[in-house]
Amino acid sequence: MSVSTKPRTQSAPTAVPCDLLHDLRTPLNHILGYSELLMEQMRAAGHEEYVPHLEKIRKAGHDLLDLMNNNLTTEAE
Amino acid sequence: MLKILLVEDNELNRDMLSRRLLRKGYDVLIAKDGAEGAAIATSERPDLILMDMSLPVIDGWEATRTLKATEKTKSIPIIALTAHAMSTDRDKAIEAGCDDYDTKPIELSRLLGKMEALLESGGANTSQIRMNS
Repeated sequence: MSVSTKPRTQSAPTAVPCDLLHDLRTPLNHILGYSELLMEQMRAAGHEEYVPHLEKIRKAGHDLLDLMNNNLTTEAE
Repeated sequence: MLKILLVEDNELNRDMLSRRLLRKGYDVLIAKDGAEGAAIATSERPDLILMDMSLPVIDGWEATRTLKATEKTKSIPIIALTAHAMSTDRDKAIEAGCDDYDTKPIELSRLLGKMEALLESGGANTSQIRMNS
């Protein structure tokens, strides 16, 4: 099932504490970085069969990032 | 082989990014806080520094100011890395002396582009200094 990453309302993005946005981005960096690293390693090792699964993890991470970028902003801005 | 110093306190960020840079053919040095980063930069003279800004002991802004004020290290290009994405974070990093800035989550092709641009120019703000050193 695809996820809509577009803004959910016509109003301004929801303001959240700066630290919360930072703390959401940090594990997302791990998810995206390790899934891309594993895709590179699997391709290099000739295990192409694992790549589509890893691509699903990577895409889910990017969808989550787009959701955050389109719907959340920091309180200080 | 070009030598990159990665200054990063988060273990998973450090492990993941260092592995990815090694796969791209870079030699990677690691520091876990700003003080260690400044010490390794001084002793090892890396070709480029990737500097997380929210660091223990000495933060990335202070470590950058120290390195850019030191003759031996001021020509080393520094790219700030942060999970904060506000425009003021970029301004703050550039004011501290960083040559460029990138946000987490890391998009590797984007980061490599910034690294290569600085490595080719010998440091955006200090190419003349580096050529003469």
